[in-house]
Amino acid sequence: MRDVLPAYPSLVRSATLVAATYRGRIVLSLLTAFFPLLTMAVWLTVVAEGGPPDGWTTGDFLSYYAAATLLWNLTGDRVVWQWDADMRSGDLSVRLLRPVHPFHQYATSDLGQRLVFLVVLVPALILGAWLVPGLNYPADPLRLAAVAAALVLAYAVSLLMASTFALIGFWSTQTTNGWLLWWGLGSFASGWVAPLALMPDWLRTAGMVLPFRTTMGFPVELLMGRLDAHQTAYGFAVGLGWLAAFALLYRVAWRFGVRRYQAVAG
Amino acid sequence: MNPWPRQARILGICWRAAVTGEMEYRFNFLANFALSAFWMLWAAAGASVYFRFTGTVAGWTQPEVLVVIGLFFALNGLRQALLQPNLERMTEYVRRGTLDFLLTKPFDAQLLVSLRHLKVNNLLDPILGLALTVVGVALSGRGVSAAALASFLLLLACAVLLMYALSVVLMALAVVLVAGEELGRVSFAFVELSRFPVEMYRNPAQAVLTVVPVAFLTTYPAAALLGRLDPYLLLLAPAVAAGAVVLATLLWRRSLRSYAGASA
Repeated sequence: MRDVLPAYPSLVRSATLVAATYRGRIVLSLLTAFFPLLTMAVWLTVVAEGGPPDGWTTGDFLSYYAAATLLWNLTGDRVVWQWDADMRSGDLSVRLLRPVHPFHQYATSDLGQRLVFLVVLVPALILGAWLVPGLNYPADPLRLAAVAAALVLAYAVSLLMASTFALIGFWSTQTTNGWLLWWGLGSFASGWVAPLALMPDWLRTAGMVLPFRTTMGFPVELLMGRLDAHQTAYGFAVGLGWLAAFALLYRVAWRFGVRRYQAVAG
Repeated sequence: MNPWPRQARILGICWRAAVTGEMEYRFNFLANFALSAFWMLWAAAGASVYFRFTGTVAGWTQPEVLVVIGLFFALNGLRQALLQPNLERMTEYVRRGTLDFLLTKPFDAQLLVSLRHLKVNNLLDPILGLALTVVGVALSGRGVSAAALASFLLLLACAVLLMYALSVVLMALAVVLVAGEELGRVSFAFVELSRFPVEMYRNPAQAVLTVVPVAFLTTYPAAALLGRLDPYLLLLAPAVAAGAVVLATLLWRRSLRSYAGASA
């Protein structure tokens, strides 16, 4: 890891430049970037008609889903499709010849593309927080620092989880389907289908120990100021635990998997 | 141009070949079918969270929302089975100049680029989706009159035509933009917006989605089936669908004029 880190800035930069070259594409991609706001619109209807569910007001939903939009665009799960395509086509062979481990090649390429989105989304979020009444984040420096750390952790867990899953491709051709199933189940426990606080108790309890909340619900709730010091520490502990677990799983899967790799083409 | 029966027959042959080809991978087909069923349950379970707190959202009860989700699923399956595989190939057609070759074939080029390929994986989605729609109607406790069923079928046909028009528009844009993946996202977004009845988003989103015409995809057909459609839509929907197909065709021809060819 230490010997690849110096390569990160330039690899990420080149991916950012490639992504920024096709500006028309960025505009089209932004169409789906704001999807969580649709779920929000339905919740706002629920609030308007029947009052705040479990005490969640219009302002809460605005704050939750604006931040969720950021997290929705900060996932590393696209690498699953990249790995899958390269294992099928044999392009992975070329990547294996490069001096940097394929994991870092996919990671930097994805990170570079994510950064282009963040350049658009973060100002939009700040502007929204400033303009939209009800959209409020308690802005003390300590919490913002914790949020920044939680965002990095969210991306890291999502990327490692997806990369670990991608290695199943050494054994099976159903990786992307398996990943979608995993993601679909996880989306109930991550805060993506609805805020975990509004879920049934058993699901909320499961969500607190599974890795998914780290990738969305935890940073969002932290930014909204809904977590005290104890809950914050707990969230980081769960996230870091899963990060370590996936890192270990990845290493093991790679060691055994790459031996099975038979270059399909060259 | 060629007479319609011949075009239909040739498309039929293409589709049969696609089905035969992909059915070689039976496990893959079954896995995809299982995944489709999973996504449908996912959608139904996701919507149920709202109804933990309220009986109706914007006048729609939970079973009525299931009717819409079923239709959404049917149309989304159609998008994945027909629109997506053709759109994916379009970028390559333009980049490699294959489009030159397709344009010279004695077959309507618009039909060829938009309907030639078929992805078998999602072919059963429309059936799954319609099954959920039937379940939703049954749970809603409303009977379906013959008139309601007829107007539902009419509006569903209009929705399918709208999807075709969208597909042709995206093909035309692909000639100019050469960005298959991103255009795929546009079609995804367009259909995805129809997951819930547009009333659930309230204004101004509701108004926008009526104009865009997402409401014609699932909201109006569902309303027709549940017997609460504004009758004027029985005239408006076919007009909108026909207008969309005409506009899309014009756009497609226009884009071909700007196409320079890459194979020569």
